Amino acid sequence: MSATAPSSPLLERRYARLGVLLIAPTIMVFSLVIVYPLLAAIYLSLFSIYTPTLDGEFVGFANYMELLTGKAFWNSLYVTLVWTMGTLTLQILAGVGMALLLHQNLWFRSLARSLVLFPYFLSTVVAILVWRWLFNDLYGAMNHGLMQLGILDMPIDWLGSMPNAMIGIILVGTWKYFPFVVIAVLARLQTIPEHLYEAAKIDGAGPVARFWDVTLPQLRSVLVVIILLRAIWDFKEFDLIFLLTGGGPVTSTQTLSLLVYQEAFGLNQMGQAAAYSVGMMLVMLAFMLIYIRKTAREI
Amino acid sequence: MAQVTLKNVRKEFGSFTALESLNIQIESGEFVALLGPSGCGKSTTLRMLAGLDFPTSGDISIGDRVVNDVAPGKRDIAMVFQSYALYPHMSVADNIGYPLKKRGVARAERDKAVQAAAELLQLEPLLNRKPKQLSGGQQQRVALGRALVRDPKVFLLDEPLSNLDAKLRSYMRAEIIELHRRLGKTMVYVTHDQLEAMTMANRIAVMHNGRLQQFDTPDAVYNRPANRFVASFIGTPSMNQIDGQLTARGFGVAGHIVPIDRSRFAPDLADGDYMLGVRPEFVILGDGPLPATVKLVENTGHEQIVTLELANATRLLARVEAGRRIDVGQNIGIGFQADALHLFAPGEDGVRLNIDTSASVIPMRSR
Amino acid sequence: MPFLRTLAFNLFTWTLVLLIAFPLIWMIITSVKPQTELFRIPPTWWPETITFEHYKRLLYETPFLIYFRNSVVLATTTTMFVVTLATLGAYSLVRFKYRGRDTLALLVLFTYLLPSVVLIIPLYLMMVAIGLSNTLLSLILAHTTFALPYALWLLRSFMEGIPEDLESAALVDGATRMGAFRDIILPQLLPGIISTALFTFILSWNEYLYALVLVNSDSVAPLTTGVMSMLISAFNIEWSLLMAASVMMSVPLIIVFAFLQSYLTSGFGAGGVKG
Repeated sequence: MSATAPSSPLLERRYARLGVLLIAPTIMVFSLVIVYPLLAAIYLSLFSIYTPTLDGEFVGFANYMELLTGKAFWNSLYVTLVWTMGTLTLQILAGVGMALLLHQNLWFRSLARSLVLFPYFLSTVVAILVWRWLFNDLYGAMNHGLMQLGILDMPIDWLGSMPNAMIGIILVGTWKYFPFVVIAVLARLQTIPEHLYEAAKIDGAGPVARFWDVTLPQLRSVLVVIILLRAIWDFKEFDLIFLLTGGGPVTSTQTLSLLVYQEAFGLNQMGQAAAYSVGMMLVMLAFMLIYIRKTAREI
Repeated sequence: MAQVTLKNVRKEFGSFTALESLNIQIESGEFVALLGPSGCGKSTTLRMLAGLDFPTSGDISIGDRVVNDVAPGKRDIAMVFQSYALYPHMSVADNIGYPLKKRGVARAERDKAVQAAAELLQLEPLLNRKPKQLSGGQQQRVALGRALVRDPKVFLLDEPLSNLDAKLRSYMRAEIIELHRRLGKTMVYVTHDQLEAMTMANRIAVMHNGRLQQFDTPDAVYNRPANRFVASFIGTPSMNQIDGQLTARGFGVAGHIVPIDRSRFAPDLADGDYMLGVRPEFVILGDGPLPATVKLVENTGHEQIVTLELANATRLLARVEAGRRIDVGQNIGIGFQADALHLFAPGEDGVRLNIDTSASVIPMRSR
Repeated sequence: MPFLRTLAFNLFTWTLVLLIAFPLIWMIITSVKPQTELFRIPPTWWPETITFEHYKRLLYETPFLIYFRNSVVLATTTTMFVVTLATLGAYSLVRFKYRGRDTLALLVLFTYLLPSVVLIIPLYLMMVAIGLSNTLLSLILAHTTFALPYALWLLRSFMEGIPEDLESAALVDGATRMGAFRDIILPQLLPGIISTALFTFILSWNEYLYALVLVNSDSVAPLTTGVMSMLISAFNIEWSLLMAASVMMSVPLIIVFAFLQSYLTSGFGAGGVKG
């Protein structure tokens, strides 16, 4: 394999070969567990496969017709968008807000930071166990606490009805993932030179103005990246929603990820599920391209 | 100790040509400076000498063997980096001893060599410290020690003094000159500071936009610059550049004639537009042929640097002795010392047109 | 008065912090409440009695320890495998030049964004076909799908932070490329490797979907699916047991947080989410 021009010095070519050798194992693993399954998924989507027996027959684009004309995909797309936008907005607002607070001189600041970071690294299983316990209609602390504060008179069924279920998953999603925003924003805040604020103060800017005119512009580039990353991860989130509501009530919190899973292992239609997953990827790709083009132009 | 030869060396990065067919021969024991502004290709050249980068075409030889395919560690060279590149997790002693370790030298011998290098550079008290505990100057000496200890054929130095403050820089300059004198090794020294090149090198290779402009002694490069670029790059303050026309009567500038000795140039040199070059120390203020107005007088203590403006808005600098009274706004006639005039062809790299003897030119007032 | 403002600020912020931490505090509290106190309406905020009976039951009467062992093996093996591959790969991507290098880097980035849901179906079929279904090995392989790109991205960032001059100096000093890697780069990279290893371990420890699809027997199940099956299989949901299990499951995380937090946060900084 020629990694460089044939006329280049032997030494240069030797280095290039070593470089290729070092990345080869990674490429092999990649090809095996990512590239091949990706291509296989597209291939499988052209079949109708019964999951328990794995019997299948070629059906061409029938699965995609079902995707486009049926209700399941579009409903899930709608649910996914509501979920993503809801939790993303809260994650960013809470994340930036908390980062600003933690940036100040707080008593026991490191401890506070550890406590705020914790939800992100916690296993989703643990997180939803705890929250399901909190949301429990009879014994849950949420209901009890809100009733004690006088906000509620009666316990709510958090996860079993709409719009509570959507609010519930958005809430838990925000709690679990906003620390990612906190950390990234905090790191950036710490690099903003103090003299920018000093100059603003001399110009007569109050705290709000200083935030808008000094802090926010500095944060802009980080936020662009974070919003993209979190949007992608929230869009494809599976564990949290599956374990919290299972997609219910009925399909009102069934995001695209859950749809794929249900179709494959609940309704036993693997081919159809593969088609849904391909559709999901195309949607993600489209959004990403639009986002990147929009923000690249502004930068 | 060997020669270093670059033959038709060319370096391209994609569609960008960093070096255009470079040809340089460095004699054994010579101290050569690669001088030029950022992006001229001097660092690229050094890195190719070291084997850290590769020529697109051409040959590099150290001694009498072509080393294009030889690994850096086997070229019998040593390099001092601008960032010193000391290994942060190793002590000073281990840093200095590392090259010997790679060569398979036994511990006892290694320690002796490290000790010797440390003595030479006054590093003994620091041998057990880590690099981050050292000052910039000390780190620089450790880098030198690491280079010395391998007793290489060629020393490569990549702007080693740029990160030091001015006082330390002139001290280390003297140290390196002394080192060269003592060891007699071939040294290739990259710098953008023409003062460093002028004071340290036996010969200077002036580079610009990937091309070698002139490869000559400091004296030649100062007094007989090959083209406009070299003329303006060497010397502080830089040479004055005056555009005008060459006629039978002399050099015409701003409606006046400056006398020119045509015998200093080729007999068939045509009349036309040229650039006159004259260094500030050869500008004479008094009753010369060119009327000018004094715009600024900068007193450095031992002399004055006077900025003058001609009728056509061209500005010149002149060096004047400290005691003389010059006022801003004063109108004065400028003349030039006749044997210190240069003519350059038009264009950024306009060639110098003088025909020379090799005699140096001395400013009149110090005769 | 400035002190009053500081006080107000601290009270406000700490209230928020405690609200965020409340679910975890509640988890611990619940896990030490005796069964009788647990199902009281209204629930008590602070346990009247503290008991460790649930922990005892978890460890002795459930397959919890088996799940724990499986998770340890799974996460450790995945981490060692992924970090080794990613370290060499990062070195290659950052310090070597060869055709296609930049395209590769871009592709790696791209895979980072793939939903696992897309891959599980083919992966499931593949594991069945090669006879690895229901084994820890299948999970290790599956975990590389998300762990390897992430580790590669992190390590690449760390690698770029090491000055190239150091390696150049080592080469001039006579080291081979791999020698320079071992002598000079690895010691510098060590904090980055530790950081990446921690992240990878946690990612693998917390993973749920692949375990759900690829494994269905208790002897091979990791903690995530194992504990969830304890929830589903029980006739009465044993919240006390589950809370105790949750606390135990989070033990590695707590250890990492207590002693190694700086490694985790530096991983964030290196993860390329810079301005």
